[in-house]
Amino acid sequence: MYPGPDDPIGVAVVDDHPIWRDGMAEKLTAAGFTVTGTAGDGAQALRLVRATRPRVVLLDLHLPDLPGAEVTRRLLAADASIRVLVLSASGERQDVLDAVGAGATGYLVKSARLDEVLAAVRRAAAGEAVFTPGLAGLVLGEYQRLVDAPAQVAAPRLTARETEVLRLVAKGLTYREIAERLTLSHRTVQNHVQNTLTKLQLHNKAQLVRYALEQGLD
Amino acid sequence: MWRAVGVFRFATLVYGAVLVLRDHDGYAHPARAYAALAVMAAWSLITVAAYARPAARRPWLAGLDVAVAVALVLGTRVVATAAQIDHGSATLPASWAAASVLACAVAGGPWAGLTGAAAVSAADLVERGTLAQNTFNGIVLLVIAGLVGGYVVRLALRAEAAVDRAARLDAATAERLRIARDIHDSVLQVLALVHARGRELGGEAAELGRLAGEQETVLRSLVAMTPVPAGDGRLDVRALLESHAGDRVEVSCPAYAVPLLEETALAVAAATDEALSNVRLHAGPDARAWILVEKEDDAVTISVRDNGVGFASGRPERASAAGRLGLAQSIMGRIRDVGGEARVTSTPGRGTEVELRVPRT
Repeated sequence: MYPGPDDPIGVAVVDDHPIWRDGMAEKLTAAGFTVTGTAGDGAQALRLVRATRPRVVLLDLHLPDLPGAEVTRRLLAADASIRVLVLSASGERQDVLDAVGAGATGYLVKSARLDEVLAAVRRAAAGEAVFTPGLAGLVLGEYQRLVDAPAQVAAPRLTARETEVLRLVAKGLTYREIAERLTLSHRTVQNHVQNTLTKLQLHNKAQLVRYALEQGLD
Repeated sequence: MWRAVGVFRFATLVYGAVLVLRDHDGYAHPARAYAALAVMAAWSLITVAAYARPAARRPWLAGLDVAVAVALVLGTRVVATAAQIDHGSATLPASWAAASVLACAVAGGPWAGLTGAAAVSAADLVERGTLAQNTFNGIVLLVIAGLVGGYVVRLALRAEAAVDRAARLDAATAERLRIARDIHDSVLQVLALVHARGRELGGEAAELGRLAGEQETVLRSLVAMTPVPAGDGRLDVRALLESHAGDRVEVSCPAYAVPLLEETALAVAAATDEALSNVRLHAGPDARAWILVEKEDDAVTISVRDNGVGFASGRPERASAAGRLGLAQSIMGRIRDVGGEARVTSTPGRGTEVELRVPRT
């Protein structure tokens, strides 16, 4: 069932803009990916993912029926092994942050170059977080917001090293350049970056559970 | 406004009725007093109904209003005895006559109010024949009511117009935001697609793609809202820097607004402009730049980094380096002026970074 490492990577494209959606599917196919299907809204995307089990979902956040974060949450609830890669227009910062908090594995702007998109899909398929400078800036901002919010019980904090790494990602340095500058291994840089995202997602999940308990919805 | 005049009219009608009931034994012709009271009541009803419709608020109606009041004031002579009048007792309509003055003021402003007051005052004088103390008081009050009433009404109308304008501006802003969002979701995406696809195809298509990319950038900055300071005079520094985003520049910031004092925000924007033009001029043709906006506990840090050729900061004698250092000086000056600090670091072959740190308050 699950595609092995030598199998082509299955990708689903979810976008309400047909020209964009079909263009992206075409380019992914040309680059050797298997496009398992395309969808124009959240409900379709859920059906598509349940039926075709792609490894990566390229998700536009601006869908007609559901907010992007909700689509992300439901996709991951349907299949926790898929990777949701957000590919969206810039200027939807809170939506991006919500989607990432809901478990999306990374974010690219639509104006990104094709080679960047293809590399990001490969990295997402390999289970890596896809951190663009834009996403790093958002995540840094979110941690600062958690520091500023006084009532946050046990809100996650970044370590000094994580902050340093994230800042360099936000300033456009590649992992290799960061590793060189901080004399760390490439792998360590990757782990630091991944940690910042995981902590945030765990915190969001805990918040949801706490909210549910408070509301008596357990 | 008109409702207030109506309330005043009926309140004074009740007062006039009380006076008539109290004094009816002393009147020469009590029946005529009751007839006058009936006229006042009927006229009150007519005017309240008439003034309720904006179309009927004409100068002639207010003029007629004053004429009725004048007639009733003069009519006091045919109702009351000469002794009563000379004794200085109230005129038949008493303060009810002032309602017509207020109506003039509301309809035509202070000067119309004053004219109405003059007419009613003249009737008062004619009716009494002398300028007794309480007549004089009454006249002064009428004049004040006409003038001040008219003035206050003008003020209120102006305030109403301002509120109206603000509401319309709000609606226009909301509409503009909606259009910007729509353009964002449709046209910009197609342009981005053409841009990217052209770049891949190369040749003439690349040229078309480049043009689409340029238009995308132009359109993006066009629909980006011109930042307006919030009520507290602060500007979201993100809004000032966002328009730089494009093919070669990436802007990263928090998901929430980063407000700075207007002066500080504008200094940061100008310094960023300089840093970016520095990148264009000196960093090399392939250099890209990244802008990062970070909110901290008591400061905001904006960094502009490029991956261009960089320069050796210890060698200012080189002409090109000197030019860049000159720019760096100007950036530092701007930021220092608003109580912040700027730092420029560069390594040959590894790009340049400009860091601006400014206070949040």
